Amino acid sequence: MAYPYVHEKEVQIVSRGWGKPRTRTIDGWRELDGYVGFRKALEMGRAAVIEEVKKSGLRGRGGAGFPTGLKWSFMPKEKRGPHYLCCNADESEPGTFKDRELLRWTPHQLVEGCLIGALAIQADHVYIYCRGEFFEANQVLARAVEEAYAAGLAGANILGSGVSIDVTVHQGAGAYICGEETALMSSLEGRRGLPRVKPPFPAAVGAFGRPTTINNVETLCAIPHIVRNGGEWYRQWGTEKSPGTKLFCVSGHVRRPGNYELPLGFPMNELIYDVCGGFEEGRKLKAVIPGGASVPILSADECLACCLDYEGVQKSGSMLGCASVIVMDDRTNIVKQVRRMVEFFAHESCGQCTPCREGTTWLSRILRRIEGGKGTEEDLETLLALGTQMTATTICVLSDSAAVPVASSIQKFRDDYLALIRRGEAVGVV
Amino acid sequence: MSESATKPMVTATLDGRTVTVPKGTTILQAAETVGVWVPHYCYHPGLSSPAQCRLCLVEVQGAPKLAPSCVTELQEGQVVHTESPKAKEMRQGVLEFYLANHPLDCPVCDQSGECKLQDYVHAEGRVHGRSREPKRGFGRDDYGRDVLFYGDRCGRCTRCVRFMDEVAKDPRLTVVERGNRSVIDTFFEEGLQGSAFAGNIVDICPVGALVSKDFLHKARAWDLDHSPSVCPNCSQGCNIDLHVRDDVVQRLRPRANLEVNHHWMCDYGRHRYEWMNRQDRIEVPVVGSSADGVALEWGLALRQVADRLANAPQPVMAVASASSSNEDLGALAHLVRALGGGEIVFRSERAEKEIPLPGFPTLTRRYDLVPNRMGAEILGMTRVGKDDGTGGLEGWAAHRGTLLVLGDELRDVGVDFGPSAGLYVYLGSYPTPAASSAHAVLPVTTFAEGEGTFANVEGRVQRFWPGVRPPGLARPAWLVLAALVERLGGAAVPESAEAAFLRVAELAPELQGLTYEAIGTQGALLNEPVALPGSRS
Amino acid sequence: MSSPLDSARPSEIPFRNPGWAGNTGQFELTEAEVRGDEYIGARALDGGHPSGAPAFPFMLVERNPDAPLFEGPYKTRFEKILTRYPDVQGALIPVLALAQEVRGHVSPSTLQEIAQLTGIPEAEVRGVASFYTMLNKRPVGRFLIQVCTNISCNLCGGDEVLHAFLEYTGTELGETSEGGVFTVTEVECLAACGFPTAVQINSRYYENVTPAGVPALLDRLRTEAR
Repeated sequence: MAYPYVHEKEVQIVSRGWGKPRTRTIDGWRELDGYVGFRKALEMGRAAVIEEVKKSGLRGRGGAGFPTGLKWSFMPKEKRGPHYLCCNADESEPGTFKDRELLRWTPHQLVEGCLIGALAIQADHVYIYCRGEFFEANQVLARAVEEAYAAGLAGANILGSGVSIDVTVHQGAGAYICGEETALMSSLEGRRGLPRVKPPFPAAVGAFGRPTTINNVETLCAIPHIVRNGGEWYRQWGTEKSPGTKLFCVSGHVRRPGNYELPLGFPMNELIYDVCGGFEEGRKLKAVIPGGASVPILSADECLACCLDYEGVQKSGSMLGCASVIVMDDRTNIVKQVRRMVEFFAHESCGQCTPCREGTTWLSRILRRIEGGKGTEEDLETLLALGTQMTATTICVLSDSAAVPVASSIQKFRDDYLALIRRGEAVGVV
Repeated sequence: MSESATKPMVTATLDGRTVTVPKGTTILQAAETVGVWVPHYCYHPGLSSPAQCRLCLVEVQGAPKLAPSCVTELQEGQVVHTESPKAKEMRQGVLEFYLANHPLDCPVCDQSGECKLQDYVHAEGRVHGRSREPKRGFGRDDYGRDVLFYGDRCGRCTRCVRFMDEVAKDPRLTVVERGNRSVIDTFFEEGLQGSAFAGNIVDICPVGALVSKDFLHKARAWDLDHSPSVCPNCSQGCNIDLHVRDDVVQRLRPRANLEVNHHWMCDYGRHRYEWMNRQDRIEVPVVGSSADGVALEWGLALRQVADRLANAPQPVMAVASASSSNEDLGALAHLVRALGGGEIVFRSERAEKEIPLPGFPTLTRRYDLVPNRMGAEILGMTRVGKDDGTGGLEGWAAHRGTLLVLGDELRDVGVDFGPSAGLYVYLGSYPTPAASSAHAVLPVTTFAEGEGTFANVEGRVQRFWPGVRPPGLARPAWLVLAALVERLGGAAVPESAEAAFLRVAELAPELQGLTYEAIGTQGALLNEPVALPGSRS
Repeated sequence: MSSPLDSARPSEIPFRNPGWAGNTGQFELTEAEVRGDEYIGARALDGGHPSGAPAFPFMLVERNPDAPLFEGPYKTRFEKILTRYPDVQGALIPVLALAQEVRGHVSPSTLQEIAQLTGIPEAEVRGVASFYTMLNKRPVGRFLIQVCTNISCNLCGGDEVLHAFLEYTGTELGETSEGGVFTVTEVECLAACGFPTAVQINSRYYENVTPAGVPALLDRLRTEAR
């Protein structure tokens, strides 16, 4: 049951309680077997929890798709001081709007996932780094955490187990880059949200200089179900390498945009035309960005055969990212939309690394010029060259991300650019 | 490689050369040991490395991405290429980004000629930039003190921010805003007022973003001669370079010495150089009293002075200066000894407090505002007078014996000094009323014009080299004094400052065995280490 | 004549989704139920349970730039926030947010006071505050209207919605309207891409906003302001 639309092909795991105000409450969550997983985890012990999550094959839902169980196992086994778990709820990748729904409909699901995660990595304190703009969702979450404390599920000596885990809802203040894990830690520490060089990796030196694990909201939300039902259970959905279900955030020119929880490996065609109801009368598909603004654009043809799992999307020439499917029909002015995305990256660049700081703005200025009909064909070559110069030369991947839509759109929609350059005519209106 | 016994070493191949360094050495530092200079901005040996300038990326064979060499440790068996096509192409790309918004105002930029951006672009940059877009502008900001900020030239390497934070421990600079709008600034209008070390950020700025107001538009970098020297403004003895154009000292710059001043110096020392350019100089030897003195060439002058010294009235008393080199002071002591012995005193200014550099407290602006108090003391000279460098000579007006003065201008005593002395010889650089009763006034060179050594507060003997040509007939004091000793039947005149230095060791066992070669550019400790409060343990 | 909005229930407001992503016909929900008003209840100014003390709406725009910092319940919250981080610096961003909640924006003097209160160097406080877009460095209107014009909203007319807001408030981008009521700005993706166009007004999201719906929305706000 996704929200605000429902489709029969959905598999409801993390989105089960959406659209039902009662699920927000601790009692409502318990009615859906809430906190059973956490109790079970307390009994199993941390090593068994990690094993179970490894078995499930759950991959990080924040974009990179790194196996969660493996990530947890990087944390030092012997504790020599505090460990931290950070939940990355700084959702701000254009096209992604799943975490906000998770936060506002099923806050206890996240709290439970955080508690199990903290148990697994021996974290003393969970920081849920919430995006600052999510005031409403954050208030819901804060209330849920408070309820968890009141029920003895968080704080000191949880349920008499001797385990103590604190949970804090930390609110960001507006910076896309803080969704990058090392920048998130910098920001949590009260500094400018600058990504840091790895190594050292967060599991060795993380937030406040201590071993830290950072997990996405959706990842942690899947954890209670995996622990409750076992890792094998989770593998009944999805593919061998990408097991489980995933929230697909569909936006753009479809009739029924929204979040849909579907097994990984779901065909893109079916998602667009069946689940989301296709396009308005007389419109047809032009392009799709399958994983948020920082992955390559796919042309209509490439979408046909694309299966939505980590490997499948890669085979089609893009990346699944956080499964934010932005659908564009034939009214779309690709140049304008690419320019808008690049302006976003220019606005959100932290400014540390030169290629990103200078490159993002430079790209956006050239694109604006082309959009205004003052571009040259030489500009296209410059755009591609700058994109190459911005790739794999910076601390984090924001710079790479900014170059991606530019390069892929020039490659696949060169005629749209040339129409503007040669005749000053835009293809598409939005 | 004495380190190899204690520290594990790693051996790797760097640009085809084999390099062996202690484990934990970064690729960039390892490269320097074999003479490979990897371009960089944000890395500075005295600061932490944020690896954000992205210029020092090198290709490590087998690695998927280029590695920032300033933070990547060299691993055993690694094969590193700093000049591979991939690395060079990347550098060219990064450099193009640096120029995208750079104003290219080199003709009016003080950094021009010593600018790393200029150097790197000249060496490896694109011939033509591809940017056709309007440039972003930040304008200029006065940070107070001696520092002026040209935002448009800034490459955001944040060396200045990290210096103030990590070394000065006075984090008054920060990056404001983010992305392309990010700019270095202080807390609004607060500036750097009150910072005692802010001048260093001008030195470490690799481009022309931070410039010195004092040096603004004064000289082009390529017109400056650099002479290694030692800061003469306190007894810390920070290693510096004199930057000189046309025999005028234009500025002082710290010279790296990890034992003394790291890469830094204080603003107090940095801004006290104008005196080196004083034009009111004693330029010729004058023998005879002020009323009937005659300017002579050196041969005649020395003979006449030596003749009078041969019958020097006793007792012999001398005033030296702790701003003189060991060579000069030693030669004075030799002369006094040749005259049958006598008392040598010096006066020196002392500050009320020390000013330590919190991130490197070894570097402290010391109490003693003279460079060579230690040298004077190991030569048996006694400090007299008050902390402002005056007084202490009250009884000397009535002195009837021989009076020798070296270097002290005796401003507080004036014409009353030495009228009743049997023989009064004044060796100095600047005309002073106190020399009006002298029987001979002999012109000597200043520290900036000569060669020699100072012993600093911790007993480190350090060399300085001449940076400016002396005016007129001024000669090094050690040469003048040794010539007098020779004429009095003593040892032959030493052929060089080094020979003069070796002769000083005859008077001070602490100096024995030290040579100019051993001292080198980084100094050497006295034989008997002197423990002083504040000196390194 | 008063606006028909004054008495209308939210779901009767004549644009597609009245400021919230609710009535697609598949869920029987009111706006309050979607937003969780009842569940959240009234949160105490002192922060309630310390776990949630760092997370409060700080876009309330109280427009009281001279209010004392952190007195009474705010002081309690300030102290609670400090207990949630291993060091003072960790608390800086929530503390800045708290200051904005009290004063509406973070002026240089506010930053200075925070530096004194926390012992964090002034320049550092300024550097951090300037990094984050939600901390207003200048005063803004009673309603800070932030229109998402990023790709998903843009595909569905985000630019037009922005222009509508500018037109009906009679302001330029980033400027505050007469009487200090409205400030309209562009904002990057608000993570409500399925409900274009998303607009954040102070601490509240308005979804599915269309250019045609802007005048009614502004009327609703003006009514609230009275």
